[in-house]
Amino acid sequence: MKRFAILPFLRKKPASRWALYYLYAFFFLAIAGDFLANEKPLYCKLEGKRYFPVIQQYTINLGWGHWEARFLQQGWKDQPYEQVVFPLIPYSARTIDRSNLGARSPFGPQRVKTKWGWHWLGTDMAGHDVAAGLIHGSRVAFLVGLIGMLVATLLGIFFGGLAGFFGDTRFRLPVGHAIAYTLAIALSGYLFWAFILSRGGKPDMWSAWWIPTGGSALFFLSGWVLALGLNRLPLGRRTMALRFDFWITRLTEVLNSLPTLLFVMAILAILDRPNIYAVMVVIGLVRWTGISRLVRAELLRVRSLDYIEAARVLGYSSWRIFFRHALPNSLGPVWVTLAFGMAGAILVEASLSFLGIGLPVETVTWGSLMRQISSSNIRPWWLAVFPGTAIFLTVASFNLLGEALSEWFDPRGEASR
Amino acid sequence: MGRYLLHRLAYLVPTLVVISLIAFALSKSAPGDPVELLLRRTGDEQMDELASTDRGYRETAQILGLDKPVFYFTLLPAAYPDTLHRIINPIHRRLVMNLCARYGRWPLAEAYFNTLQTYEQRVPEKPREILIESRRITAELYHTDRGTSIRPLLERLVRLHPSGDKEHTEAKKLLAAFANMESNPSVWNAYLPGFQWFGLDNQYHHWLSNCLRGDFGRSYRDGQPVKNKVWTALRWTLILNILSLFLAYGLSIPLGIYMAAHRDTWIDKGSQAGLFFLYALPSFWVATLLLLLFTHPDIGLQWITVTQVSDYPAEAGWWARRLSDLRHMVLPMFCLTYGSLAFIALQMRNAMVETLQQDYIRTARAKGLKERQILWRHAVRNALFPAITLLGSIFPAMIAGSIVIESVFNLPGMGKLTLDSMFAQDWPVVYTILMMSAVLTISGLLLADLLYSWADPRVRLGAENQSTH
Repeated sequence: MKRFAILPFLRKKPASRWALYYLYAFFFLAIAGDFLANEKPLYCKLEGKRYFPVIQQYTINLGWGHWEARFLQQGWKDQPYEQVVFPLIPYSARTIDRSNLGARSPFGPQRVKTKWGWHWLGTDMAGHDVAAGLIHGSRVAFLVGLIGMLVATLLGIFFGGLAGFFGDTRFRLPVGHAIAYTLAIALSGYLFWAFILSRGGKPDMWSAWWIPTGGSALFFLSGWVLALGLNRLPLGRRTMALRFDFWITRLTEVLNSLPTLLFVMAILAILDRPNIYAVMVVIGLVRWTGISRLVRAELLRVRSLDYIEAARVLGYSSWRIFFRHALPNSLGPVWVTLAFGMAGAILVEASLSFLGIGLPVETVTWGSLMRQISSSNIRPWWLAVFPGTAIFLTVASFNLLGEALSEWFDPRGEASR
Repeated sequence: MGRYLLHRLAYLVPTLVVISLIAFALSKSAPGDPVELLLRRTGDEQMDELASTDRGYRETAQILGLDKPVFYFTLLPAAYPDTLHRIINPIHRRLVMNLCARYGRWPLAEAYFNTLQTYEQRVPEKPREILIESRRITAELYHTDRGTSIRPLLERLVRLHPSGDKEHTEAKKLLAAFANMESNPSVWNAYLPGFQWFGLDNQYHHWLSNCLRGDFGRSYRDGQPVKNKVWTALRWTLILNILSLFLAYGLSIPLGIYMAAHRDTWIDKGSQAGLFFLYALPSFWVATLLLLLFTHPDIGLQWITVTQVSDYPAEAGWWARRLSDLRHMVLPMFCLTYGSLAFIALQMRNAMVETLQQDYIRTARAKGLKERQILWRHAVRNALFPAITLLGSIFPAMIAGSIVIESVFNLPGMGKLTLDSMFAQDWPVVYTILMMSAVLTISGLLLADLLYSWADPRVRLGAENQSTH
């Protein structure tokens, strides 16, 4: 089957092959970064006891166990180890090396005890190791790209699918149903809104959660009964079309007329506390329009194919045709936009942290390392060159991957390239 | 054509209304208290005299129009007072809302809140320690609505003053008001809907009509009209973006055509790789590197100045000043241009390659037309469509890009103004810029559509057919 041959296809051309290799390395750094750059040893032996501090950190983060007192009292560098294995870069992204404050060049003088402690990519103004920062930054970039695009993809497929498959005329339902369920949705929405408004931020009052939940269940139940009743009237039985395409197009028009970066900044500005997950979700909420447009166009094509007509003739419900038959067949182009979208999301995150907006001050990212240039007088080039190269390589690789994928999904275009 | 334009414009109005709603809602939920920001700016730091600042606060809020309802209507639970908008201080409003949500009865909550306010505004002759303690307790009371934490605070307040004292009775009154509110709760009031219609005299209506009249309010930071600030900045951004746009299109279209004409030669392949490389280069990185390069004292490339733009020499004439401006804009323009240039050129090449494979081109070749004529007269017009469509997405991208570029190069454009205002919590400026950039983007999209319909009559006729049906 052709579908399984996608990796060989990507490896065929040198450009996409190298992009793929770089992305493997990027994913590896993002996932295994803690084992490569960490101030804690991978393994150590203290007073006859063996420890695996890097792994132990994970279990402690999950709430299982806690550090022994001696690790908290003394720094990781100064323990009386009997045996010790440090990671390749013995610094975490936020480790402050007090003897190398104020941006030390990788080639300049550095005050380190052994060559294992050398800062291969220099340090920043606060004495953080740049290499460790780059590795941590790759995790942030990876997460932003992944979660941001996950949100964007789900929204894009949903809205684009509705607009493309049902269009303006194909989703019809009885007027009675429309009235009854609109009422039910509006009333339950109000109930949840009132609940959040009055109970939000007060943990001691969440115990009343059953009021909106039970209330909305009641509303939907009575909506169902009402719909049955209205169906007996001639007016309630008459069908009307929901204009999905019209309204979703209007929605994308609004979103497209706001410049992404500015809109994201304006939304993030209203948050009380900067928060990396908010950045991811906001990027996703703003960037779904491209995916939606593609899915819509693809579904417009798919819905007129014979097999959809056949499914209709067989008497399948339109939702079943939509989810089981039409949508899966039109997701190919989504992979292409996903690759380009990852590049875009990573770029937006880098710009945001470069400007210092929306992300917590202590989060080390590629952009935040570069930001320090403008605030320092000695112009540390290594703070611009290394993080920038990382951004460039990642963005370029995702773009190359997107190009290759679009050739894969659209072989017709290959002739013209 | 005219009908097509009208058709497009009619759809713009609701879009703009929705955008104005988004901008207004965001500006209303932005952190920081505008009245306090404004008072801080005027240097009114003697906030000790509570009564006078309270009046000052009220008057400032009235000038800003903050005592009006926010929107045409509210749909709040019935537990909340219908005059909620009159409580201007955000801390007070939060307290009242929380009390109403928790206990469900506005009159009782009002009684408690008013007693708390009268107690707080008294300035009794008391020893300093007692006053400080009393202040501390009242400040805490303003931030809590939980019965289990209010009651001990109130009891401490009662014990603070000797019995028989005026303050003692006041504190007891406060405790009684609280007990009354606590013992008569109503949970259901927090869910019964209460609809309020306020009419046209609301903040959104005034803000929108002022905006339509060209008055965008005043900056919280220095009291200047937002219009002036944004207009000065907008000029820089517009000049920068329009010049870059012309540069990008002017260079990329011939380049794309050239590449397509020399398809699969080493020139074509090399330029494709180079353009792809350029396209993926993050512009703010390039900007930072250029800044490092041109300001580094050892390299000696200081001929492009990155100092403050307004520092003209005193004797400089109009032309000298424009020349100085241009020198400031060379690097930002480069950073803003190269990405879109690469993108458009690549798209142009692909469109041109596809067009050149079509039958009518083969016919033209068979007729014996010169290659030059085929390229520039027959193929270009059809191959231009994708490039024109791109205008709609490149223009907003450029505006977003210029935010970062301007802040790197210290250019006093919209981007830098946005950033500075955001850090200073100067929300009228920020959200005016958001609106402005939306209008700019929409104009860009509209321009793209019009160009498209001019180049491709099918679009125009299709729309007219639709509207005549």
